[in-house]
Amino acid sequence: MPPKSSSFGAGARAGTSSSGGGLPALSSDDMCPVCKTIRYLNKDMEFLIHPDCYHSMCSNCVNRLFNDGPNQCPYAGCHKTLRRKGFRAPFFGDLSVEREVDIRRRVAAVFNQVEDDFETLLDYNNYLQMVEDLTFELVHGTDQKRQQAEAQLQAWEAEHKADIERNRRAGREADDLQRRRIAAERDAARQRRIEAIKEAEEEKRERVRSREAELDSMQTGEAGGGGGGGQRVQLKRRGQVNKNTADAAANMIQDKNAAAAAGADGLGVGRLSIRGLKEKKRPPPPEGPYDPFGGLDFIPSRYTLEPKGTLNHPALDHWRLDQGHITGGYSFDEYISRAMFDAFAGLGVFIEDEKELGGQTGLSAGQVATIGGGIGAVGDKMELDAS
Amino acid sequence: MAVSPLVYPTESLQSTSRPVSSPLKRGTSAVPSSNGNGTPHLHRPGGGPGGHQHESQLPLTLDLVEQMNEEEKKKYVKGRKLGEGTYANVYLGHSRSDPSVLVAIKKIKVQKEYTDGLAPDAVRELKHLQELGGHPNIINLLSVFSSKDQNLNLVLEYLPLGDLEMLIRDTENVRYGAADIKSWMGMLTRAVWFCHDNYVLHRDIKPNNLLIAADGEVKLADFGLARSFAQPGAKMTANVITRWYRPPELLFGARHYSGAVDIWSVGLVFAELIIRSPFLPGGSELEMIQMICRQIGTPTEDNWPGVTQLKDYTVSNTIQPVWGKEAYMSRFGAVGSEGVDLLVKTLALDPKKRITAREMLEHRWWRTDPKPTRKEDLPRKTTSKDGQTAEEKMGADLKRRPGLDDDNNPPASRGTKVARKLDFGAAK
Repeated sequence: MPPKSSSFGAGARAGTSSSGGGLPALSSDDMCPVCKTIRYLNKDMEFLIHPDCYHSMCSNCVNRLFNDGPNQCPYAGCHKTLRRKGFRAPFFGDLSVEREVDIRRRVAAVFNQVEDDFETLLDYNNYLQMVEDLTFELVHGTDQKRQQAEAQLQAWEAEHKADIERNRRAGREADDLQRRRIAAERDAARQRRIEAIKEAEEEKRERVRSREAELDSMQTGEAGGGGGGGQRVQLKRRGQVNKNTADAAANMIQDKNAAAAAGADGLGVGRLSIRGLKEKKRPPPPEGPYDPFGGLDFIPSRYTLEPKGTLNHPALDHWRLDQGHITGGYSFDEYISRAMFDAFAGLGVFIEDEKELGGQTGLSAGQVATIGGGIGAVGDKMELDAS
Repeated sequence: MAVSPLVYPTESLQSTSRPVSSPLKRGTSAVPSSNGNGTPHLHRPGGGPGGHQHESQLPLTLDLVEQMNEEEKKKYVKGRKLGEGTYANVYLGHSRSDPSVLVAIKKIKVQKEYTDGLAPDAVRELKHLQELGGHPNIINLLSVFSSKDQNLNLVLEYLPLGDLEMLIRDTENVRYGAADIKSWMGMLTRAVWFCHDNYVLHRDIKPNNLLIAADGEVKLADFGLARSFAQPGAKMTANVITRWYRPPELLFGARHYSGAVDIWSVGLVFAELIIRSPFLPGGSELEMIQMICRQIGTPTEDNWPGVTQLKDYTVSNTIQPVWGKEAYMSRFGAVGSEGVDLLVKTLALDPKKRITAREMLEHRWWRTDPKPTRKEDLPRKTTSKDGQTAEEKMGADLKRRPGLDDDNNPPASRGTKVARKLDFGAAK
């Protein structure tokens, strides 16, 4: 995962012990480097920094210098123009850490792909390496390299604004989901504990009861049999309870897996065009109205059939009157349609062309027939005279 | 078309000056000709001189047809067995060039009754699948070759999600609604429409012949009883279509019928999808007629002129008037008023008044709410109720002898001379 802001904080806090490089660290928390005021004189002295140059100064100095609008940084040799608005209290004592964290946060906001976005783990690792290289240039690189990296970052951001926004939203949703999942798990754990306690109590009560039963049976003089039986029953019961809890646990795991799967689904939105990215899952295009025919149409193109029942042929007359044909539902229209189809089926097909084309390109017979028809310049439509 | 009806010999094959022995020498090798008139030739005694093993060792002595057969055979690798039956074995296989392309190889056994050639159902299946392949709702025949012992191997596309019957029967685990039914019916009706528009009667439509592809598409399979439309005057057998789905004209022994027989079956599949059990599960032909009379209405001269003249016309004396749409609403109302309207039209007693596949697709039901489910979102399952996986189910479906449920109907007669039909695929 690309480092999220929260994981950042933890890492950086751990690193505060290492002293910063060239930047003036707030080593002494006691003196403002600009006005030389010491904490002894101003108990509430607060140091502020500006993320443009990370030069710290006390809040009084900031107010004094920048209340009237943008001004130059008072540090010698620093020619950055700063504004009042940009000043804030540093989170880390070590300002180099503060700076790195800021940069990382910015980079992470732009390069916010997750592992699910990539085809392979290698692609994802390459991506992380690329991001880390860029970050390193920004944090520790020479001026030139830093500018270059900065330009790259900005170009990327401008180019992929929409994707970044989408990933950000997805990430937030995933965070939400995770939070909810953790809460649910905690809930389940509590439930389990309560149940375990209940069970323990139940067991204790059971034990007492069986013991009493045993004593009773001893009293009545059937000590051996009764006691053993009770024990067995108890053992059996306990086994059952164990089984039940195992089942419940299995169910819970299943639920969790389902939730995880759902979470993964939620993440799979929006990608950049980095190498190895999975194909974009676009929402399916809105479907048109349902076509019951599935886009097919078998209306003959070389002739038109007259409406049902109008076509006739003397040879059919005899059968048309045949009771067997009428009652059985034999369809003369189907027969005529077929006869027409058969009569025209070979037209426009040239075996030589078909051999040539079909043999080489593997065209389907239908395509070849169409081509052949074109070559032969056969009239596309032939009106059939109804006789 | 997966297999072009015309065979294009390659240059090298053409250039062999050696006299080529008759391409029809080996019955099974004549298969690539799908011109519809191949039937008589296919029944010639198979097996030319020289056993198959011998040929494979000495490929140079193969004649043209045998070479082509070998080439076709080499394209596929046969894997484990998915199902075994008396009629055929079904194997899982894959393409040799790309092992991720799975296929089902249906190996039709040599049958004792047909020692002098191929079983007619195998011929029917081959012939019609070769003509109809390519439609998304009809099982695709990828290739045909013969293996040793003159076994015929049909390479069919692999449909891993079982059949519609599995989904209908598993009332506990599978739930579906009107939109899903509409989607399935749409695919089925398109398949039947495609058959009929290519002048082929399927004659065995039932839920377990409707296989489901990996993407949820329903595919009509098992063309073992199919035939092309008959000429006027040519008699067709009335002993087709699995009994529960058999229309009244066939039960009454009509010998001249049309695509309306398939539509009746479609209607019953539709009804079965809604009520999730067979609508007319008659134990015998007589019982079937009784059930039709009771549930749909008694066929009489009024609602079906001439019906009393049919050979096997027998109905009980109590006449049940044909039920109106309202009577169906209570039981089949789940698909809405328009859906019931379509159902009633498919279950018209008189085949002439029955709706055609094309008219079905023009029905208003498809355009009313709910919109049919997208095929990817249709309910599916991978194991059937008795623990049979969908894959096994496919194996079982394909190996079955067509047109039979439990008892042994004699296989349909080979039919009359089949009209020559040129196929030019989508040229139409």
